[in-house]
Amino acid sequence: MCRAGSGGSVDDVIEVRELTKRYGRTVAVDGLSFQVRPGTVTGFLGPNGAGKSTTMRVLLGLDAPSSGEALVNGGPYTALRRPLHEVGALLDAGAVHGGRRAFDHLGWLARSNGIGTKRVVEVLEQVGLAGVARKRVGGFSLGMRQRLGIAAALLGDPGVLMFDEPVNGLDPDGVRWIRGLMRALAAEGRTVLVSSHLMSEMELTADRLVVIGQGRLIADTSVRELTDRFARGVLVRSPRPEELVGVLAAAGGTVEAAPGGALSVAGLDVAEIGDRAAAHGIPLYEVTPRSASLEEAYMQLTAGSTEFGAVAS
Amino acid sequence: MLDAVAAEWWKLRSVRSTHVIVSVAAAFVLFVVLLAVQEAHIWDGLDAARRARFLLRPLQELGGWVAQLCLAVLGVLAATSEYRTGMVRTSLVAVSSRTRFLAAKAVVVGLTGLVVGEAVSIGCLLGTRLAVGGRPFPDQRASIAHDLPGFVASGAAVAVFALLGLALGVLLRSAAAAIVTLVLVWHVVPLLVYHLPGPWNERLGSVMLSGLPAQIAGLGADHSIYGELLPPAAAAAVLLAYAAVPLALASVALTHRDA
Repeated sequence: MCRAGSGGSVDDVIEVRELTKRYGRTVAVDGLSFQVRPGTVTGFLGPNGAGKSTTMRVLLGLDAPSSGEALVNGGPYTALRRPLHEVGALLDAGAVHGGRRAFDHLGWLARSNGIGTKRVVEVLEQVGLAGVARKRVGGFSLGMRQRLGIAAALLGDPGVLMFDEPVNGLDPDGVRWIRGLMRALAAEGRTVLVSSHLMSEMELTADRLVVIGQGRLIADTSVRELTDRFARGVLVRSPRPEELVGVLAAAGGTVEAAPGGALSVAGLDVAEIGDRAAAHGIPLYEVTPRSASLEEAYMQLTAGSTEFGAVAS
Repeated sequence: MLDAVAAEWWKLRSVRSTHVIVSVAAAFVLFVVLLAVQEAHIWDGLDAARRARFLLRPLQELGGWVAQLCLAVLGVLAATSEYRTGMVRTSLVAVSSRTRFLAAKAVVVGLTGLVVGEAVSIGCLLGTRLAVGGRPFPDQRASIAHDLPGFVASGAAVAVFALLGLALGVLLRSAAAAIVTLVLVWHVVPLLVYHLPGPWNERLGSVMLSGLPAQIAGLGADHSIYGELLPPAAAAAVLLAYAAVPLALASVALTHRDA
């Protein structure tokens, strides 16, 4: 299945342009621009309070932008006639009436967009809630509610999916399931925008990353680019460091002294370093590629932009 | 629009509070009829002079009066239950036109109010007539056809109360605040107005919501706390305004507010 937006360019299914959203004197989103392309899982990352949920609410027509615009499939969300067929969203899994049965909750949602009850049964099976379809949602665990919210997002078989912190409250099995689901949805050509405050989660799921802090764009990049940007060379230990420096420098590497008598080498990979050292008969005790984990990269990126950071004493 | 209405109907019928509220209103019909049976027994033991002053009417009207409050609460909950849980965002993601969303809710809540209101109001009239049998209570000598319009108007007022409740729920977004406001409109304000110096007690008493059905049916205020200055058409217009004006305000608030 290959999907494209019904309007606008195929490249930008979600487009946020110079978006600013103020609540009174609080600026939640501040001149944010980014695009999301189809067939990818795009991680929308930022610390708590960075403006991720606000951006998603504006994209879904729930909050009006103070300035700028947020477009889905080339137009504003509110212009969509039967929006669930084009966009599926999970905002807050807790936002369900506890007295309603799971089937009824999905039932009215489906009905509002002219979707039949057969599809309700299908998505309940897809998310593994078929057995509790006739149970009241009030008795559901947080994980079950997340699954119900995801079922709601899938109802209209939409080409665009937005999930706000979907793994919150899920057990490890659930986390694995949703990872697989998001990958599968993107593989079908759909556009998936998933917000999280955990880089470690996105590392395993996302192709691209949009990182924001205090409402501003910090990075719009691919996961690989981000890893490369924060690569810190290879750490090498040898009993004959002086000789090794000469050999590696001759091979085009940049070598610096690292703490503890080790060497930090940039410009050569582990295999090249090993080959050169072997060719010259220099023993190596350690060859470790050092790249900042995405987690560290993310912490560096967002340093200074956490709204609720603890003050160091 | 039909899809949105069908969805709202599904929402309303799939929560317990709806069933409880409608059951309470229905149970009140039964209660009123049982009281009428009791009054019939009392009637049998009275002498002719006291029978001539023994009325059934306030009892007959209790059903509609209680249904007004019950269905108003139903209207409130149709809106505030969504705000309390945050489900309103899911609703507005599914039906992205706020006006369509509110209109669909109004259709469902209004029709439910009308059906339940008429059933309760007319049920109380017929049920009590059946209970007293052929006993010629002084206020029950007219034919059912003659008395019916007043009870039909009273049933319609239930729908207006339901819509007023819905509008207040959307405007205030809090069940407690909306229900308190409703009880004020339903009973407290009319009582206060009744104690105003004349002619304002009569003037304002005539536009009190619960007093409108009697004026629409061309009946007098019957020594109640309400006034009787409005001709039927004017009273009907005021009754409609009690639903239309708050709903219009709710629509403006809903379309201009972040959800």
